[in-house]
Amino acid sequence: MNNCIVAFCCEHSAYPAADLAGKLKLHYPENLRIIRVPCAGRVDLIHILKAFEKGAAAVMVMGCEGGACHHMTGNTRTKERVKYCNLLLREIEADGRLVAMFNLSPNAPHKFVGAVNEITKRIKESGR
Amino acid sequence: MNKESNNVLVVGAGISGIASALELANSGINVYLLEKEAVIGGHSASFCCKATDVCSQCSACVVPDKIKETVSHPQIRLLTNSTIRRLSGELGNFRVTITQKLQYIDQERCIACGLCTEVCPTDPKAIHPSFAEATPFSYVLDEELCLRFKGEKCDLCRKGCPTKAIKFKGESKEQELSVGALIVATGFDVFDARKKGSLGYGRYPNVLTGLDLEQIFTREGCLKLPASGVEPRNIAFIQCVGSRDEDHDYCSHVCCKYAMKLSGLIKYHNPDARVTIFYIDLQTAGKGFAQFYEEYKENIRFVRGVPVEILQTASGELEVRFEDISQGKVCRDTFELVVLSVGISPSKESWDLARTLGINLSDNGFFAERDSMNTNETNIDGIFIAGTCQGPKDIPDSIAHGIAAASKARQVLTESASQRQGNQGRH
Amino acid sequence: METKIGVFICNCSGTLNNIDFDAVVKKVVELPGVTSIKFISPLCLEEGKKKMLSCIREENIEKVVVAACSPEFKEHVFREVLENAGLNGHLFSMANIKEQCSWVHEGDVTGKVVELIKMAVSRTRLLQPVKMNNFSVNREVLVVGGGFEAINAALQLSRAGLRTTLLEREAVLGTGTTELENLCGFDINAMVMEVKGDENIEILAPAEVIETSGKIGDFNVRIRKGGEEISRKYGALVIATGYQTKLALESKLKSDVNIVSQEKLCHMLEDPELRIRPRTIGFMLDFADENSRLPTLATLNNALAAKRKWGSEVYVFCKNVKVDSERIERLYQEARDCGVMFLKSDVSPKVAAENGKIKIEAKDIFLGEDINLTCDVLVAEECLLPAEETEALSSILNIRRDSRGFYQDENVHLYPVASEKKGIFFIGGCRGNLDLSRVLTDVSSVVVSIYKLLSSGNILAEVERVKVDPQKCVACLTCIRICPHNAIQLVRVDGGKEVAEICDLACEACGICAAMCPAKAITFQGYRDEEILAQVETIGES
Ligand SMILES: Cc1cc2nc3c(=O)[nH]c(=O)nc-3n(C[C@H](O)[C@H](O)[C@H](O)COP(=O)(O)OP(=O)(O)OC[C@H]3O[C@@H](n4cnc5c(N)ncnc54)[C@H](O)[C@@H]3O)c2cc1C
Ligand SMILES: Cc1cc2nc3c(=O)[nH]c(=O)nc-3n(C[C@H](O)[C@H](O)[C@H](O)COP(=O)(O)OP(=O)(O)OC[C@H]3O[C@@H](n4cnc5c(N)ncnc54)[C@H](O)[C@@H]3O)c2cc1C
Ligand code: SF4
Ligand code: SF4
Repeated sequence: MNNCIVAFCCEHSAYPAADLAGKLKLHYPENLRIIRVPCAGRVDLIHILKAFEKGAAAVMVMGCEGGACHHMTGNTRTKERVKYCNLLLREIEADGRLVAMFNLSPNAPHKFVGAVNEITKRIKESGR
Repeated sequence: MNKESNNVLVVGAGISGIASALELANSGINVYLLEKEAVIGGHSASFCCKATDVCSQCSACVVPDKIKETVSHPQIRLLTNSTIRRLSGELGNFRVTITQKLQYIDQERCIACGLCTEVCPTDPKAIHPSFAEATPFSYVLDEELCLRFKGEKCDLCRKGCPTKAIKFKGESKEQELSVGALIVATGFDVFDARKKGSLGYGRYPNVLTGLDLEQIFTREGCLKLPASGVEPRNIAFIQCVGSRDEDHDYCSHVCCKYAMKLSGLIKYHNPDARVTIFYIDLQTAGKGFAQFYEEYKENIRFVRGVPVEILQTASGELEVRFEDISQGKVCRDTFELVVLSVGISPSKESWDLARTLGINLSDNGFFAERDSMNTNETNIDGIFIAGTCQGPKDIPDSIAHGIAAASKARQVLTESASQRQGNQGRH
Repeated sequence: METKIGVFICNCSGTLNNIDFDAVVKKVVELPGVTSIKFISPLCLEEGKKKMLSCIREENIEKVVVAACSPEFKEHVFREVLENAGLNGHLFSMANIKEQCSWVHEGDVTGKVVELIKMAVSRTRLLQPVKMNNFSVNREVLVVGGGFEAINAALQLSRAGLRTTLLEREAVLGTGTTELENLCGFDINAMVMEVKGDENIEILAPAEVIETSGKIGDFNVRIRKGGEEISRKYGALVIATGYQTKLALESKLKSDVNIVSQEKLCHMLEDPELRIRPRTIGFMLDFADENSRLPTLATLNNALAAKRKWGSEVYVFCKNVKVDSERIERLYQEARDCGVMFLKSDVSPKVAAENGKIKIEAKDIFLGEDINLTCDVLVAEECLLPAEETEALSSILNIRRDSRGFYQDENVHLYPVASEKKGIFFIGGCRGNLDLSRVLTDVSSVVVSIYKLLSSGNILAEVERVKVDPQKCVACLTCIRICPHNAIQLVRVDGGKEVAEICDLACEACGICAAMCPAKAITFQGYRDEEILAQVETIGES
């Protein structure tokens, strides 16, 4: 998967934030691939692991701010899964920080770009 | 039932007007949503998210959601760039004349490609995007900058537009609508801080208003001084600017909340920043807010007392003179940035609108409700008010007030319709 | 045979100029399932939509991919085209090649565009149609509570043509509501009479809810009334159980001194036989509970009344005066003009009993001096607490409360009156400290929200968009426990097996259950594992 970043984006928050980033003509690395989901809570372990299996450099799960999830608990439940995934990565001696949950609101395009840059930095640091 | 008498006109597409329109449309009523600007959303569409590690419940993110729903709702007709010219008739049968300004840029055709801005020869550009959160996200033309309005023959943007969305010829259009009821949701004006000359707004580049700060965060994603672009580390908020004084005998409801939340955000981005809030009384009542205050009162310096004067020192710092009431003496302190927490003032145009519609103004300049317990009803049957045009409110209260106005409008429409049917039956 | 997918590409009138569209078309034609590829620009305007429509019809396209701008604002536009062409609106994906590709990257992005379209096509191949259906709903409403708010709501619901039941714990209606609120001219007794005379309103009192089940449009509520249990069906539930107050008092104060509540003071003020008028009255405010909007209102009203009626000296000790509701600032001004003294302090004053009077020691920060005051009557600070049994009722209804124990989660998307469960609403004091005009706004909001849902007797909703496969379900109850909207219940299917079933009306299509189900028994059309994984697998293939 030539080192793509896969980002699962909640359609209530991260997805519109990414759109706003576009409207403001901000820039982020081209290897980002956004998959739109109805809520971060829809993202399952298998989706994340499949991305790594296919060679993704990193996986981002992006949902609403803590306490502002449209479905109350979607973002917190997925955060747990992402944590578990961190452990799994460590177990296979990969950098656990390459899968991460980010929280943002739809009116936060800079936070979106900041998150992508952060994960890009982590990829560099982990030497991939 | 006559179909038109079942339409409602909502005037003003801020968050309260949007809430009214959505509620009516979802109960099956056709809605005209009138907005004087080119874009909808009102003030709150330009606010930033104030979340730190968790949501701080500022409600700014509720707005884009509702805008999206409004734009795609089949039963809402948006009329942007439009204002009310005349009104006649009565409940169940109003006739409203609307003027739609000549739209230099046809919103339906503009696809926000930006080619026009590229070719526009002026500086700053006369044709530019409306702010990004606004919807429809289209370009707008500034008559004051455009060369055509200075008598020149420039035609570059019109030629450059791939969808032929730009036109200069034509006139403003008038159109007449028949509606059963009206909801007025024309919102507020932010208090003009220039009126408090001693605070230096407009004179000193680093004295900003709360609204400026919201928009800097939205635009830049972090706090930067507009003049120098550096991140300030020593910031003061001054509360009740344009609220609770001789001319404004009301509290604006929102300033303490947004000031504290913005302070929280500043501290989150930059834990070393020093934030001071000057206040009279802290309005910390409200869901979840007391806890928020508890959390921040350690990290933010709260000073009871309202500063009287701000001076800029030679080095560009701002010296604030204030009476620290708890110490009982006049103190001075310097800051890199002073934020005036401006309040909610009645809209300057409300006087004209009140006259056009025949509704009353209250003595503080907001639209008057029929009685203190009917805050949606006006002196005229069938005309309702919603949101901050009736008095200060935050976003959740504005939404609630908008929905309540929709509820009242729906009710009188159904009742007047069944009455009319009853009358016809008797004839 | 594989379904025919039509791909429509729009370059936003030539503005996406870092894409080589010829190259894109060449690559996309080769994709499996793609039978037609059209380049129309601009696609979202009338001309474009017309071309798209006729192309779908002429080439018998069965599923559609649009590669253009963001679905955020345009999805519904294209979905409409599909529906006009007789296709199911769900057989459609968008590849966002504008906001999330062309506009955010400099330089040529042709490769990324091809990949985004590939992802969309691979998802679209798997999509299945989702039907809509009209579900019939019960038009009756249950209002829990019998105070001012509940009575008001019942009257307005009845006026909107919805039959309403008013359920009150006490035997009589309209008792416990007037504690802190001045009802501003509302005559609660007249309202009670009106409710009693309204044939659209049934009153159950004294009664209590003991169990609820079911979903919006079809709630089953078991009610205990008198000694017996009855079962009723409702389309929606409104909670209006108010709040309770507690005096913030140091317990060691003797009971023979005159420390009273606001309510007691009201009674004293109205008592024609009161012999001794208190000469000095102190009020405590905003020390123990920051949420003092209502106590502030009561204090201002009562302080003014005492001043005017008795001519007493009135002192209000407080931290902040909470003036953020209608007209309070003016009332505050009026009180000061009448000579009510406001003494502000950041720490709570010391209160002690002395010779049957009350001694207050405080530090006023404005005067900067210590104040020693002896008063005849002290009106204690009142803290707002959730009504009794709030916890019990919230667990019966299975709904969340806020961090102070009141109804309604602090989530901003629920305001003003909604709960996370469709068809259950909160109004007034039970969800927060609201003044009277906010309460009345709540009542109106609830009426229109319920009217919108129930008035026609039908709700149009998607059928089985999210669905449990009864064959795979092991009845582990995970989904029932975690569904944030309580949309899932256990039902018995043929053969006696118990399985989870999702109620189409209550489901808000978040997909949390689909991710959590250990048996992978739940599918979410459009976001099934297959559809998500298909996109993931396509990434980086080229
Ligand atoms: C600095 C600042 C920060 C704030 N921060 C927060 C916050 O963090 N959280 C929060 O909850 N609240 C906040 N508020 C309050 C919030 O802005 C208001 O509650 C909200 O914007 C009110 O919405 P509205 O629809 O009533 O009015 P507006 O937003 O003013 O909308 C009115 C609309 O009507 C249009 N209009 C006006 N006149 C006419 C006419 N004659 N014909 C046609 N259209 C017309 C206007 O163009 C506008 O679009 C803040 C306020 C300020 C000043
Ligand atoms: C009614 C019910 C409720 C459930 N509730 C939940 C829930 O709330 N949350 C949740 O996440 N999941 C729940 N599940 C799912 C289920 O618990 C998990 O699938 C299970 O825990 C998976 O773990 P397992 O396969 O290790 O255990 P098991 O499914 O118990 O399988 C153990 C297997 O090992 C065999 N075995 C045991 N001892 C020996 C031995 N000494 N030698 C050889 N074989 C042996 C057993 O015969 C059995 O086949 C529920 C399932 C059911 C049926
Ligand atoms: S802080 Fe405000 S904008 Fe951000 S998530 Fe919370 S309510 Fe939304
Ligand atoms: S999709 Fe969400 S709302 Fe629907 S049943 Fe599953 S968990 Fe509940």
